[in-house]
Amino acid sequence: MKTIQIFDPALCCSTGVCGVDIDQALVNFSADVDWARQNGAQIERFNLAQQPLAFADNAVVKGFLERSGQEGLPLVLVDGEVAMAGRYPTRKELAHWAGIIEIATSQSTGSCCSGSSCC
Amino acid sequence: MRVLDQPPRFLFFTGKGGVGKTSIACATAVQLAADGKQVLLVSTDPASNVGQVFGIAIGNHITAIPAVPKLSALEIDPQGAAQAYRDRIVGPVRGVLPEAVVKGIEEQLSGACTTEIAAFDEFTALLIESPLTADFDHIIFDTAPTGHTIRLLQLPGAWSGFLEAGKGDASCLGPLAGLEKQRVQYKAAVDALANPLRTRLVLVARAQSATLREVARTHEELAAIGLSQQYLIINGQLPQSAIEQDELAAAIAQREQLALAAMPAVLQSLPIDYVALKPFNLVGQDALRLLLVDDNPATEQVTLPPAVLLSAPSLSALVDDIAADGHGLVMLMGKGGVGKTTLAAAVAVELAHRGLPVHLTTSDPAAHLTETLEGSLPDLAVSRIDPHDETERYRQEVMASKGARLDAAGRALLEEDLRSPCTEEIAVFQAFSRTIREAGKKFVVMDTAPTGHTLLLLDATGAYHREVSRQMGSKGLHFTTPMMQLQDPKQTKVLIATLAETTPVLEAVNLQQDLRRAGIEPWAWVINNSVAASRPGAALLRQRAQNELKEIDAVATHHATRHAVVPLLKQEPIGVERLLQLANPADKARRPL
Repeated sequence: MKTIQIFDPALCCSTGVCGVDIDQALVNFSADVDWARQNGAQIERFNLAQQPLAFADNAVVKGFLERSGQEGLPLVLVDGEVAMAGRYPTRKELAHWAGIIEIATSQSTGSCCSGSSCC
Repeated sequence: MRVLDQPPRFLFFTGKGGVGKTSIACATAVQLAADGKQVLLVSTDPASNVGQVFGIAIGNHITAIPAVPKLSALEIDPQGAAQAYRDRIVGPVRGVLPEAVVKGIEEQLSGACTTEIAAFDEFTALLIESPLTADFDHIIFDTAPTGHTIRLLQLPGAWSGFLEAGKGDASCLGPLAGLEKQRVQYKAAVDALANPLRTRLVLVARAQSATLREVARTHEELAAIGLSQQYLIINGQLPQSAIEQDELAAAIAQREQLALAAMPAVLQSLPIDYVALKPFNLVGQDALRLLLVDDNPATEQVTLPPAVLLSAPSLSALVDDIAADGHGLVMLMGKGGVGKTTLAAAVAVELAHRGLPVHLTTSDPAAHLTETLEGSLPDLAVSRIDPHDETERYRQEVMASKGARLDAAGRALLEEDLRSPCTEEIAVFQAFSRTIREAGKKFVVMDTAPTGHTLLLLDATGAYHREVSRQMGSKGLHFTTPMMQLQDPKQTKVLIATLAETTPVLEAVNLQQDLRRAGIEPWAWVINNSVAASRPGAALLRQRAQNELKEIDAVATHHATRHAVVPLLKQEPIGVERLLQLANPADKARRPL
């Protein structure tokens, strides 16, 4: 079982309500994480405002922050390696990493979108 | 004093800055100690003068007061507590993560919520069974947590998967992250608060309609979460005996009577005590004992203090400078109850009176001020938003769109997040922002603005744009973010409104620091309702005027680059005539002293 780690940007309140506009992607993603966990995925999330040490202790994450700043977050690691940055993964991507077989999905392309508008 | 009648173990005094919570808490503590009880007085007042009152240094540990047998005191510095809280989280990564990242995290933890949670964290230990406090019959606090904080601590969703698992989740609360103690301790503390047999909440107010409205709101909010044993103290009422032949004093007394007669119904049913304005400084235990005594014969023995001669710039003089730019945004900022709406109206009327086009937009809850100005001057447009409606609309929008997919615990948490003071600030600011665009052509005067903290959080994208523009040099890229408009003194002038009293001035200083953090330099300070500027004749008012001078001087010499002092008027400043009078007190024939 692969371990998925998500490093979130600094979020003030749970849902980022403090922002001008709440990030719907964030809300959806929270639901997707719940779904994936229920299906046995190992997912950990770290919030920069709450657990900065988790960012500092991980050489990959620390290096990423130095290069791209916090604007580059979120960062997704799968088994410690960078799998995605700058946006939240979709349910399909989570399923793929965690090896969850989703019902009624054809999953034709092995690796899902890394580009603009897909999935 | 009904509030002293069979008091339970915990007494909390709450009310907005400057109403005299700390003095009343001190006086209550002295009285209970004199009755033979062991008393601990806890002050979280940022302007804490408890040490000064008793002539001893106190600080962050329980200290016996030598002058008052059976009394001990403790001072909690909320700002210091918040700093310690930030350091616990940020300290380990300082110098490890990039500087900009560390700053971002610190800003997330610099809001009012964090300060409040940190202070609550500090006094949790005093609310639970502990050898530390076992000897005290009464513990008296000169503050109380807000409904928002208590509700957060009561929500299981706020804690789930967080402190227990030791691992964060995006759906847990930022401000709770640095809490040190166990969840059971917070639960015990919140339970103690909500238990009427153990806790009495004392609302402290002045006989002013705006203050009473605010207190009624606090009352309902806290009663809804179980703090049902509430008392009300009306502090600083002008006694009939002090009116003498003074017109101003008579007008103040009458205004207070009217405000009390129109007191919200929910307050009228509470046990109420009235505390008269005293001519002496509340320093030392003798003075404190006299505070709670009804008819104080000493009042009449006071010799008439000399007339106060204050020469300070008028609001009209400030408006001269504002008018010179021809257009722009003027925002009045300050704590509730200092008269931001009135001052915004006065600035707008002054500008319109000079033939300049002005749009005054307010969040005036009473509406009467705004309504009387509608159509009164040809160059003055008036609009009003209802903060309550705007916030409610924003909440519903968010719940319908973003809350739809959350489970029950998640929705409860989102709902509570949406009840935070920041949410109201953002909702109101969004409503105002439509009007702000007009400031390129005319004057726009607003009676509110978000704090620097909120602006910084809202400006996450603006910061990014600035970074880009720095990297690209000066060439190309023409853009302005709302934040950049607020930071440019040519486009936006922030006026800080305050009163000539210790706590309100201190609160204004904090506000100024908060704005500076966001790169906004307040353009001027306006001291409202000054008795000194009204040149009173009655002894009690002259005494008050005398006390104001120290605060006015501190604002003029230390805090503000420019300032104005606005007098307390005999009548409520409603309508164009009186608003002009507010800004030009010198134009009026002065009463002989």
